[in-house]
Amino acid sequence: MLLEIRELSSCINDKVIVNKVNLSVDRGEIHVIMGPNGSGKSTLLSTIMGLPHIRVCNGRILFDGLDITDKPSYERAKLGIALAHQYPPEIKGVKFSDIAKAIISKYGCGDCSLMARILRVDELLDRDLFVGFSGGEKKRSELYLVMLQSPKLALLDEPDSGVDVESIEYIANAIEYLRSRGTAVILVTHTGMITNKLSRINRIHIMINGTIKYNGYPDEVLPVIMKFGYSRGLEVLNRTFKGGI
Amino acid sequence: MDRESIEKALSKPALYGPDIDLSKYRLDEPSMGELNEKELESIDNVLDKLGFQKTPLSYVQIDESARYRIMEKFLSKYGAKIMPLRKALDEIDLAKKISWKIIKPDTDKYTASTYLHGGEIGYFIYVPPHTRIPIPIYTCLAIIGEKKIQFAHNVVYVDEGGEAHLVTGCAVPHGVREGIHIGISEFYVARNARLTYTMIHAWAEGLHVRPRTGVYVEESGEYVSYYVVYSPIASLQTYPKVYLSKNSRAYLASITAASGSGIYDLGAKTILGENNSSSEIISRVVARDNSQVYARADIEAHSSNTRGHIECLGLLLSDNAIVSSIPIITSKKPGALLSHEAAIGMIAEKELVYLMSKGFTEEEARAILIRGFMNVEAPSIPKNIRAEINRILDLVSKYAVG
Repeated sequence: MLLEIRELSSCINDKVIVNKVNLSVDRGEIHVIMGPNGSGKSTLLSTIMGLPHIRVCNGRILFDGLDITDKPSYERAKLGIALAHQYPPEIKGVKFSDIAKAIISKYGCGDCSLMARILRVDELLDRDLFVGFSGGEKKRSELYLVMLQSPKLALLDEPDSGVDVESIEYIANAIEYLRSRGTAVILVTHTGMITNKLSRINRIHIMINGTIKYNGYPDEVLPVIMKFGYSRGLEVLNRTFKGGI
Repeated sequence: MDRESIEKALSKPALYGPDIDLSKYRLDEPSMGELNEKELESIDNVLDKLGFQKTPLSYVQIDESARYRIMEKFLSKYGAKIMPLRKALDEIDLAKKISWKIIKPDTDKYTASTYLHGGEIGYFIYVPPHTRIPIPIYTCLAIIGEKKIQFAHNVVYVDEGGEAHLVTGCAVPHGVREGIHIGISEFYVARNARLTYTMIHAWAEGLHVRPRTGVYVEESGEYVSYYVVYSPIASLQTYPKVYLSKNSRAYLASITAASGSGIYDLGAKTILGENNSSSEIISRVVARDNSQVYARADIEAHSSNTRGHIECLGLLLSDNAIVSSIPIITSKKPGALLSHEAAIGMIAEKELVYLMSKGFTEEEARAILIRGFMNVEAPSIPKNIRAEINRILDLVSKYAVG
């Protein structure tokens, strides 16, 4: 198993945001975490990435058999975890291309020009990183930087929120490409918009109030959630499939 | 100007910066001659600190010895001249005519003592009309002796429609502890001409530096200056002044990476003298250790339909450092548009966290952000000059991080 999360709880300022989550992801798999705003999805990804404002208050994270629970984010990145931030910061004075080059010098570049084409970022590279980018440009550029890291595990935080239709298409293509290279993906979305653009999703997890309440196959979960929303949908799922956890 | 008033000015302190007792320093007999390879070797370490190569250097001053060589293949091909000012004052009428015209010798004790004791050592550069010199002209001023005083008086004239890019480095080799450098620079940018001036200071903890710079830009001329200080220093005080005629413009950027216990007092003043002149004064300050930085900027509009903008950004990296931004905008005619903005802060935590999540260590992430912070881009700078400035800023950001 590439990633194993056991009984993971994470806290921000002593408040429990993610509560005893278990999750296993293998190479090349795509897992989608869905849930309403504020349910702890982003915090879960940030915890896996090891961002400093989040404290693990229970459980362990194993990556490639290694316990990474106490490792700083840059070490996790070196091990092969990459996070596409939901809101990457605008960095004045630092060119997009400079960061791309710096990442390439760390991780190498076999197919970075292809990736730039898939995500249509060529014309953005000369600009300051994320400064004045549109919603779609930000998401595509951030995903491009994630791809340059050649990660074993890509954590994608709301790659489909606030973006135009074309950008969703490019982003879905990029995710398919990542998977074709054997990268595992955990994708967080609250709208689920991108899910019908992806050819194969291994599991859908429904997260509410910091806990994964249900997990199942896309064919079983998506129609119900799309029709009934999260809380009512969850009731229907539990009644119909008696699956979940 | 009569000698008496200049002699009187020998005891006149400068308006800003610590007052220096010049009698504590030794002055060599000013001399000049052609540059030889042996002398170049003696300043290997200095060139290293500045990131300069030996080959393109056209003027080197070591303490009070002026050494020059014409970059035969390049400068002479263009008819441009570079030589010690003392030689130019003997041979070239123009040099005589314009020397000490922009900067008055009795401005303060530093200008007065340069006038009286400096022996007119320094460089003179002349660019003929409608001549564009595409490659940078490199000059280097080094103090290699202990407790020395170095005077330099530089005069540059870019004639009508001409263009030149000057890169000057001032430094001491490792091991020199004390000294003072006084540099008087007078630049003339004639009609439709353009001058870019990139200055790098790389001194040491016991060095005082007092540059005095005046620039006169004629109609439709352009002056661009990048002023970079990245070493520890005892004190540096400068306040270049640029006079702008009709349709002319100036862009002055200073980048200061302050460290140690140095006092860095850097300013820039532009005078929008005539219609449709414009200027921008940009400064970036990164201060660590116990350094004190005063970033001054002053734009004075004497004509309507002029534009001026000041931007000062500071990054404070230590509890004991100080950054002070002092912008002044003065309008003497309605219709002048003047503005300033200043901000002092620290490295943004969320940017640091973001970069670290991409696999950069904290140190690497800081270096990237500081390098980005220092990225100031003058409009319309040629590619090779921009590359040179970028190379210098790469060097500076390494020192700024510490």
